[in-house]
Amino acid sequence: MFYRRAGIRHTRYQDERQLFPLGFDRGLIIAVIAILLAAPFLFDRLYVSGYLLPWLIWTSAALGLNLLMGWSGQIHLGYGAVMGIGAYGSVHLVRLGVPLEIAMIAGGLLSATIGTMFGGAALRMKGIYLAMATLAMQYVVDFVISHSSVISGGSLATLQVPAVRFLGIPLQGDLPTYYLAFGVCFVITLFMLNVRRTSFGRALAALREKDYAAQILGISTFRYKLLAFWVSSFIGGVVGSVLAVTYLRAISPDQFHIELSIQILAMIIVGGLGSVLGPFFGTALILFAPILLNNLLGFTAGTLGWSLPIDLRAHLPLMAYGALVIGFLLYEPLGLAKIYANFRNYLLVWPFRHAQR
Amino acid sequence: MNEVQYRPAASVAGAPVALSCTGIERVFGGLRALKGVSLDVRQGEILGLVGPNGSGKTTMVNVITGFYPPNAGKVSLFGEDITALKPHRVAARGVARTFQNLALFKGMSVLDNILIGRHTHMKPSALGALFYWWWAEREELAHRRVVEEMIEFMQLQDIRDEPVEVIPLGLQKRVELARALVAEPRLLILDEPMAGMNQEEKEYIARFILDAREARGVTTLIIEHHMDVVTSICDRVVVLSYGEVISEGEPQAAISHPSVVSAYLGERAAKRHQAGSAA
Repeated sequence: MFYRRAGIRHTRYQDERQLFPLGFDRGLIIAVIAILLAAPFLFDRLYVSGYLLPWLIWTSAALGLNLLMGWSGQIHLGYGAVMGIGAYGSVHLVRLGVPLEIAMIAGGLLSATIGTMFGGAALRMKGIYLAMATLAMQYVVDFVISHSSVISGGSLATLQVPAVRFLGIPLQGDLPTYYLAFGVCFVITLFMLNVRRTSFGRALAALREKDYAAQILGISTFRYKLLAFWVSSFIGGVVGSVLAVTYLRAISPDQFHIELSIQILAMIIVGGLGSVLGPFFGTALILFAPILLNNLLGFTAGTLGWSLPIDLRAHLPLMAYGALVIGFLLYEPLGLAKIYANFRNYLLVWPFRHAQR
Repeated sequence: MNEVQYRPAASVAGAPVALSCTGIERVFGGLRALKGVSLDVRQGEILGLVGPNGSGKTTMVNVITGFYPPNAGKVSLFGEDITALKPHRVAARGVARTFQNLALFKGMSVLDNILIGRHTHMKPSALGALFYWWWAEREELAHRRVVEEMIEFMQLQDIRDEPVEVIPLGLQKRVELARALVAEPRLLILDEPMAGMNQEEKEYIARFILDAREARGVTTLIIEHHMDVVTSICDRVVVLSYGEVISEGEPQAAISHPSVVSAYLGERAAKRHQAGSAA
């Protein structure tokens, strides 16, 4: 319907290889970007800093993990720890007076270095064993952060993020923090889109599908597995520092526990492994489904005059949310992105039913 | 397509040796899969490697391409020692191969699968992906042109955008051959490129192999069970049985050697065969 491939004739490889060859897709993307840019002026303060900001930050993190899990097929259960390293590293640097721009990159580099060290396990392990190794990383990093007072500032301590500037603009109030998170998310998204159409992304995908075939095509498993861990951890570190500076503003070790890792993992599984669009959908669902379900439950209970026990009221949305994740794993393992792609394909071939791609 | 002249073995007899394996031994636990195999592939030659199931053909190829380092022996490629090098290093020295059971990358298009074949000629980097328009695009497009030539050569134009898992087996084999050829290998190793194919598909692949030799001067080592194909496209044949070379030479002569007949069909058949050819 809206999408039409007919009449689009590419005469140059550039055009055929562009990110969004279909006009309607381009329009859609531009509209979404425009809405996101105008959001602080369109929507209530609460929605922007309470919903959109975390959505952008968590999406950025999910994209970083998706590079590792979706593209190169390496399981990582310690992504929260990776983000924690970046957050603590950059906040400490900022407190020492290092400019935020440099501190963010440095936090990313620190995460990348430590993440790659643990990622080295991937050279010898696969699947469930690698999952255990990265889980170990989560706990080791948690332990080190919370038990060394030099890093965490003492047990049960929180580390305040001082007033900082980004490119000369003070990061105070909702507007600058929102735009910083938006900018980081935009760059990471662009990177992920481009990875898909370059030799780097193809090498990672080859590694994921058949590593022996990848090797004889000249792809070093050693190099590319470590590179995948490096890049993914770097993104995690940068996003961790963005999370600390724009959203948390005071960091403590419990914010980067296994819960965060599992949350981000759930986001990419529900959203769609190996997809760029998926993390956006997945993050929205994982972050907001419990809130929505809670409100829905409250509303229904209110109108029907039920009196639900308070603990059931608290747990019911969580149960529904768990069922949702299981449902996705069962019925659409490729996630929300695949559902969207199916819908898009349906429109592409409409009025015919045949849609192979 | 031009008619390709069958080139008899004599024309490559004087050519320099492309791949030389001497005394290759490979043991798996108590099983001696290769017992001192030596073989040479001359430049521009199509060498057939045949033998009954389990005779060590694929093991031999895995030794050459670095998947199984040999327990003894030496592999050299154009005079360079490549024994026990890692597969990606062997690939960088100009060896490409296909696999017995297709090894295409699912979830990617035919085009992307063939583009991976250019990996050794490209400089992949994460930063290149980040700054695509200023960094990677020019390289991507240059290699795209090479790949498009290969797509034309292999007649894959109309399926180039299909996901590779939905096309028929015969075409998948052809895509895998294209992926190997697009790397511009000096030595091409084909592990049963015609397994599970019908007569027409077999003829296509045979034609592509001959064309690749004519147009690109690729030296080819081919494992194949279809003897009609082996005898018609190979310049020479090496027959393996239980990890040993039992016959070698001109295709017809090599495969009708009594030891080959007995390896395939048993002693009695070999006697009958000898009696038949004597009479």
